[in-house]
Amino acid sequence: MHLLRDPFSPLRGGAPLKTAAVCLGSPFRGDDAVGPVVAERLRRAGAVVLDCADEPTRLLDLWDGLDAVVVVDAIRGGATPGALYRMDVGDGPLPRDLRLASTHAMGIADALELGRALGRAPRRVVVLGVEGATFGIGDEMTPAVTAALDELVASVLRDLEEATCTSAR
Amino acid sequence: MSETREIRTDYLARVEGEGAMLVRVRDGALEEVQFKIFEPPRFFEALLRGRRFTEAPDITARICGICPIAYMASSAAAMEQVCGVELPPQLQALRRLIYCGEWIESHVLHVAMLHAPDFLGYDGAIELARDRRDLVEVALRLKKLGNELMRVIGGREVHPVNFRVGGFYRVPTVSELRALVPELEWAREAGRELVRWTAGFDFPDYERDYAFVSLRHPGEYPIERGRIVSSTGLDISVDEYEEHFTESHVERSNALHSSLAGVGSYLVGPLARYALNHDELSDVAKEAAAEAGLGPVVRNPFRSIVVRAVETVYAADEALRIIAAYERPDEPAMECVPRAASGHGCTEAPRGICWHRYRIDDEGTILDAKIVPPTSQNQKTIEEDLVGVVSGSLDLADEELAHRCEQTIRNYDPCISCATHFLRFEVERL
Repeated sequence: MHLLRDPFSPLRGGAPLKTAAVCLGSPFRGDDAVGPVVAERLRRAGAVVLDCADEPTRLLDLWDGLDAVVVVDAIRGGATPGALYRMDVGDGPLPRDLRLASTHAMGIADALELGRALGRAPRRVVVLGVEGATFGIGDEMTPAVTAALDELVASVLRDLEEATCTSAR
Repeated sequence: MSETREIRTDYLARVEGEGAMLVRVRDGALEEVQFKIFEPPRFFEALLRGRRFTEAPDITARICGICPIAYMASSAAAMEQVCGVELPPQLQALRRLIYCGEWIESHVLHVAMLHAPDFLGYDGAIELARDRRDLVEVALRLKKLGNELMRVIGGREVHPVNFRVGGFYRVPTVSELRALVPELEWAREAGRELVRWTAGFDFPDYERDYAFVSLRHPGEYPIERGRIVSSTGLDISVDEYEEHFTESHVERSNALHSSLAGVGSYLVGPLARYALNHDELSDVAKEAAAEAGLGPVVRNPFRSIVVRAVETVYAADEALRIIAAYERPDEPAMECVPRAASGHGCTEAPRGICWHRYRIDDEGTILDAKIVPPTSQNQKTIEEDLVGVVSGSLDLADEELAHRCEQTIRNYDPCISCATHFLRFEVERL
């Protein structure tokens, strides 16, 4: 069984995909590398990952036609490093202070709101994250965060599958 | 009794990164303005040491997700200089073409999404989109075209993979580029609409006699090459940068302030490019500027939003010119053989000149690197603008003054992720 209905087709052309993961973060900023590391593992597992990098308004084009996205990010929420978070924000707002590791011109919360204002946003958003401890340029990832990645990747795949099933109904 | 006012804003919205700013007013007089940038850990410079010279473009592209081409083009130019390689005209044209895509994308993001809300009284692009969906849709379509140029030439939109020292891994076919023509023709007109729209904003009455610094190259508006010139008479090769520009440490901010010898602070970016190269704009871009009421020199930093829109028109027009003249090169890249030497590269990032120096050995291993991004060069000028703007606006209420300060900083589209990677914003009025 495929995790997604059509996991190997490109975003452009072919039948539109209905779910995808959006992984945020910088590979050079300690635990902020959670997003890129998870993205690579998700791609190897056949999942569709949207390349967001540092400029989330690109998502408005990339997630055009998607029913649901799963957002993956390192989080500073005051929990123990390595603690996992899951927030099903449905069609509500994303918490704007979700991601303090790196504040960009327009964060993904803003991109989502902008997309909604323009009628160009997925109907459902789930956020999966892991509490990070270090976000300095050139820092190594915290061992507790690295240790949590298997579970995080499994959770993302579960949510993608569930979202696909839900949206396929 | 001493009266003090204090404004604190913890985060500076709508700049690339995090910013910190402090304004202190005591007894009705401006006491201090600080635009703080935390120490840019010279992480990338350290990371480059010991790497192959061919890796510099891909590594430095990671400094910024908004302007990766600026870093790739400057580092590649430096390495090509080390190897004594000059790109043939068509490869040079492709460099310029992909850079046009970055200008369009970066300028439109800033003009429409980040800066325009300041002039129209919106909190941000979301509120703007609710009222003016048409404008935001045009901006997003322009941005998408910028992405598309990056994708067709660079292999993908973000952190292009097709860019290399000596040229490209693969060069696009004529028909791949021609396919972009209809959308670029639309973009050139949409850019003119952007110019008209921004020209109609109310601009704070503020001007300064800046020392403008930009590249200049005969016969073209500067993007990917040129000599470094200034409004104070400087005219040097990029190799001579360090003889004229210095970085000094500023205790309170941990950051390095750039200074031009004998002049002091200076300004890089759209206003500088425009003032020093107005004669090199294409006719359609000149027309757009004239229609917007811009003279050949603009000294009001708030009008930089209009100049960015003019440069967007230029970038679309220039992309069309390049595509019309394009002939697919036989070879996608020049062979680059390393030798023990230093190389310098400087290109016009959307925010201003982005200067690189590398020293490599005979094996092609990078021994050291120095990267001076545009925002660090503008930092001192931004702080001086804040002094000027705040001094003339002390009658404003705290909230309005804080907003005016943010707007002033956004005049520079400061890419703090490039300059410093981390910056908190804080406005304080005592």
